[in-house]
Formats: sequence, structure tokens, C-alpha cells
Amino acid sequence: MIMRGGQQLLLPVSPMFIGLSLLAALLLDMLPLGRQPWMPDFLALVLVFWNVHQPLRVGIGMAFIFGLGVDVHQSALLGQHALSYTTLSFFATLAQRRLLWFPVPSQAVQVLPLFFSAHLIELIIRLINGDAFPGLPILLAPFLEALLWPVASVILLSPQRRAPDPDENRPL
Amino acid sequence: MPLGTLDRTPPPIFKQGPSALSKLIFFSSLALFLMVADSRFHVTQPLRAGLATALYPVQWVALQPVRAARVFGDYFTTSREALALVELAEQKLAAQAVRASQVEQLTLENTRLRKLLGLREQLPSQGVAAEVLYDAADPYTRKIIIGKGSLQGISAGSPVIDESGVVGQVTLVHLLVSEVTLLIDRDLAIPVLNVRTGSRSLAFGDSAGGGGLELRFIGSTVDVLEGDLLTTSGVDAVYPPGLPVARVSRVERLAESAFARINATPLALIGGARHVMVLQPQTQGQSALPAAPASAAGANPPGRKGAIQ
Repeated sequence: MIMRGGQQLLLPVSPMFIGLSLLAALLLDMLPLGRQPWMPDFLALVLVFWNVHQPLRVGIGMAFIFGLGVDVHQSALLGQHALSYTTLSFFATLAQRRLLWFPVPSQAVQVLPLFFSAHLIELIIRLINGDAFPGLPILLAPFLEALLWPVASVILLSPQRRAPDPDENRPL
Repeated sequence: MPLGTLDRTPPPIFKQGPSALSKLIFFSSLALFLMVADSRFHVTQPLRAGLATALYPVQWVALQPVRAARVFGDYFTTSREALALVELAEQKLAAQAVRASQVEQLTLENTRLRKLLGLREQLPSQGVAAEVLYDAADPYTRKIIIGKGSLQGISAGSPVIDESGVVGQVTLVHLLVSEVTLLIDRDLAIPVLNVRTGSRSLAFGDSAGGGGLELRFIGSTVDVLEGDLLTTSGVDAVYPPGLPVARVSRVERLAESAFARINATPLALIGGARHVMVLQPQTQGQSALPAAPASAAGANPPGRKGAIQ
């Protein structure tokens, strides 16, 4: 594995933690806080994060299924979030080899267009479907998601940054 | 370095599965298919209901912190506020007492008159009380989710009211929850009656213009004043007649247009209702009567956007 200089070696990721973090993000999205167009989509953020860091475990199919779940919960058009998460996940897969070579703040800048395109897709779909424009605060959402990228990097990588426990694999 | 400290599984070289692009094409077309099936053909209801039931535990967990916050918030409401509320309620009660005492007499008189006219007695609709779980987060529509579903006998198309007026209409029923489209959603229309003049019209939701109702296609010479009360007219056979809907807030008569621009404010607590009452649609109640003629409307429940039949 080729690594950037100064990057910390990480412990193997636990699939259970990936699942739990996705579920927690879904929970955060489902918190009944009312209709806030500027509310960042935590699930999209976590999906992109794992797509970039663990592309073999979290892929486009999983993004699609979570998108359907969000559609049903928001009682939005069925398939709207599924399409935007699928596209998001595709671009994240394309960018993942390049992205991890950059420091975290620079990564945040580079994922901003991804989130922007995801929200744009949803907006276009709804406008085609004949719904009204929900107002300018919706422009804030991708920026907030990109701002949360460093936070997600700290939280979601923290289990892999622990000191290794030598007792787990000691032969005796 | 000890074992197990690195992610050691090498990436597969030959068996990589379908490429990202082919996955993207497959899932995007699936999503597009679902969207068309949902918005044009309305055939995705079973899939939606299944997913909603599977998601219910997660939703329940997500609701708990907000419920707890509500409980604590209520607990710390000061006694002063409580007293003020009591006073307000007593005033309201006193104001209503006069009218309530007349109701008995009016009902009696009404039954006699209706019998005289040979009209069918108006059925009192049975209602189911339901708790409002949350506002649907979709920013493009105005919907709320209530905590009663098809298991509790909610059916699509039922009118939903709160203590001060009509809230909206049930548009989608899952097993345990239902989705109510609010009056101010731009896809919902409700037939109303101006109490002062007796003229009937249609009120459309106007969610883009600050969340109100709009009376469309009213000629600029028609008698509508600010402050007029609009109630349900009952001609749609969905809403029982006489429920308060809205109060006219603005009348604008434009010289260049043949129609007046009339806005109305809903009377119900559209944004803040916690408990609502789901009524039976009028058509269902009537079709139970043996004497009622088989109505085509009863066999055709409204779809997702069908507010008028």
C-alpha cells in the first residue's frame, strides 16, 4: 500500500462499526426537527466518507438502498434520494484514490462539488415533477456537509486510530 | 509490528464485480423507473408500505429524544402560563356556551326540516384521534406524519381536523403511520363556502407564498371581504360540511385581470398541531346506508393528489 508521508497507520476497520455509523447517520436524518431546507444530510456525508475510505465494503448498491429508506421516511418522490446517493457514491468511488492523498481540509473542499451535485439532482427532479422551489437556504446544505467532513474524519476514524492491543494476537 | 494491526486483506485483483460505471447506470435507471412509477402510475405503494414498516423501529428511536424534550418542556412551563391558559379557556368556554345551548334546539329543528324536505339525515362522522409524529422533512411539499395507520382503520382520503379547523387530508396510509397533506400544500384543493355570502369556491394551497390558501378564479366583482370565514361546503363528498377552514386575509382586485387575487389564512394550527382528528370521508359513511344510491365516487378513493372528486 502506497501511503502519503506522515500518514498514520490505521487498524483494520470493523464492519459492525461501519453499519452502526450508517444507522446513526440515518437516525440523525430522521430526527423530527421539522422542514429545514438547509439541514445537512448526515447520511450522504457518512456514505461518501465510507465510500472514500472503504470502497470495498460500502458501494453504490448500499447508497441506493439507504436512499430508498430516506425517500420513504421523508415521503418524498420514491427514488429521488436513491438517485442522488447513487450518483454521489459513484463520484466518491471515482475520487477515492486521489482524495486520500490530500490533508483533511483540502479533502473537504474537494467533496463540496459532490454534495452540491447531489442536491442539484434532487432539486432538478422535483422541479421536473412540478414542485415549487423551496427557497434559497437549500444552497447552504452542501456547504454545511463539506464543513462537517473534518468532523466526520475525526469521529469515524477514531476506532481505527487506537493503539493496537498486543494481547489479542499473542500466540500464548 | 504485532499481527492484526493493519488492514491486511489485499484487494481482489481479478474478481472485482461490475464496474462502478455499470453499477451507476443500473441503479440510476432503477431509481428513474421508481420515480416514474411513483409519480405517474402510483404503483409503488406496496414497496413504500413495506419499507415504511421496516423503518418504523428506527423512526421510533429517532422520535424519542424529541418526545423527551417535549415532556421536559411541558414540565417546566411556569404556573403563570398555565393560569393564563386556563383563563383563556374559560373565556372561550363562556363564549361558546351560548351557542352550544342553542345547538340542541337547532339540531332538533334541523332534523324536522330535513325530514320535511325528504333529505337524507346527515351522518355524524366518526373520528379517530391521532398524534402528529413529525413534519415530513421533504422541503418541496407540506406534509405531516401521524401515528395511526391502516391497522387503526385510517383510510386514504380521510379529512383531518384539529380543534380549530381543517388541517388537511390523508394521502398515504402505511401499516402504522399515515401521511397527511396539509391544506397549504400546493397540490391540495378544498371546496369552501363563504359563510357571509354563501358563495362556493375552491381554495388551493399556496406553500410558495408564505403558507396560506388562495381562492382562484373568483371574478373581480364578486363580493369577498377581508375577514370572511370560509367553511367546507360539503359538495366534494369528502369533507363534512360546516368545518371552519380559513379566514380571508387579503383581497386584491387588479385592473388588468378579470379575477381577483384572494389569499386566506388557515384557522387550524397547521404548523404546530400535536393531536389531530381523522374523520371518515363522507362517501364511505353514506355508502353504508342501504337507501343510498351506489355512488361512483365511493368506489374510487382519491389517489395521492386527488383532493377533489
